[in-house]
Amino acid sequence: VRGVASDTAGRGRRANLRLLTRALFAVSLTALVAIIVRLRGSGGTPPHRGGWRELSATDLEPADKP
Amino acid sequence: VRAVLVGLGAVGARCARQLLSSGSVRELVVFARHPSRVEGQAAALGGSGAVRLEELSASAFARSLGPASVVVLAANGAGLSLVTASLAAGVPLVSVSDDPAEVRSLLGLHDAAVGHGLALAVGAGMAPGLSCLLAAWAASTLDEMSEVHVATLGTGGPACAKRRHAALREPLEEWRDGTWVRRVASSGRELVWFPGQTGADCYRVNRPDVLLLQRAFPTLSWATTRAAASRRDRLTSWLPMLRRPHPEGTVGAVRVEVRGRRSQAAESVLVGATGRPALLAGAVAAAVAVRAAAGQLTAGAGGLASLVPSPGDLLAELSQRGVKIMTFERAGPVPAW
Repeated sequence: VRGVASDTAGRGRRANLRLLTRALFAVSLTALVAIIVRLRGSGGTPPHRGGWRELSATDLEPADKP
Repeated sequence: VRAVLVGLGAVGARCARQLLSSGSVRELVVFARHPSRVEGQAAALGGSGAVRLEELSASAFARSLGPASVVVLAANGAGLSLVTASLAAGVPLVSVSDDPAEVRSLLGLHDAAVGHGLALAVGAGMAPGLSCLLAAWAASTLDEMSEVHVATLGTGGPACAKRRHAALREPLEEWRDGTWVRRVASSGRELVWFPGQTGADCYRVNRPDVLLLQRAFPTLSWATTRAAASRRDRLTSWLPMLRRPHPEGTVGAVRVEVRGRRSQAAESVLVGATGRPALLAGAVAAAVAVRAAAGQLTAGAGGLASLVPSPGDLLAELSQRGVKIMTFERAGPVPAW
């Protein structure tokens, strides 16, 4: 009886360990995917034509509507 | 004019210099939480006006309001009690805060400000602040405005850097088709071409520009705010700051894209400004404070797009003070969106 009980307890510990390992694996995988999703991606393309021009005080003033 | 300034950090010091060099401020009372730490900075302000440095306390602040013409709050979390005391004393107030929670509570004082016939300028820094002025100016060049997209690069002083760090992780709201839509911070990657700079990847952040712009332009259908961030910034945004923020940021820019219609055709106006963020914020706060002291702002609590009757004039003044205001000129047709 003692042998059967010891065997059952051992199987229980192994099952718990397996569950913990799987949970850790799942969490690690999720974290890895989250990091990849968060960091990768393309931002777009820069403008190929045109450019920035400084506005003078006179450029700025007439644009106001009354 | 006698001005009261709360906070002498990177933005506060720039604002103080601009106020003293404006020629209209004769006396500047500076309040600091630890005056002994900023004595050197206060002594080096220069300008034509007299500077007095005092320790910040409710009683000392209330005493200073008697002969004051305007109050500038250049310290995050300065407290609503200072604002209410200022309004009760009949003194207009300018706040440079970029904390959405603080901005919301200041906007809640709109009725009190209208009741006193005073202006309570909220978010009078680089973004919000200069961003709102640029959006208002760009909108004035269109017949109809439907979208505003604000992007920023760089930070001012340590308080600004800490705020940006938090803004990259806090949940935020965007204005989309007449309603507030919840978004995840640090999402929505977009390559933004800033004036005078190279392109930078920008992501959604929790900043109050959208809130202030939506109040100024209720017919807007879409408004967003983004900030330039590196992969490390985004990855570590949920952690405490890993190292001490720099005393003052060097490279900075703000870019505003306003979309709408002109003569029945779709049009997009791109405007921006470049410079040290603390310098830009200080220049805007000082220019707005001088106007508030002269009673040239609309009464009530709101952003600069709501309170400044003529954004073009204010931008022209900033341009004369050395702020580079720029526009992007396309060589081809406006792309479809």
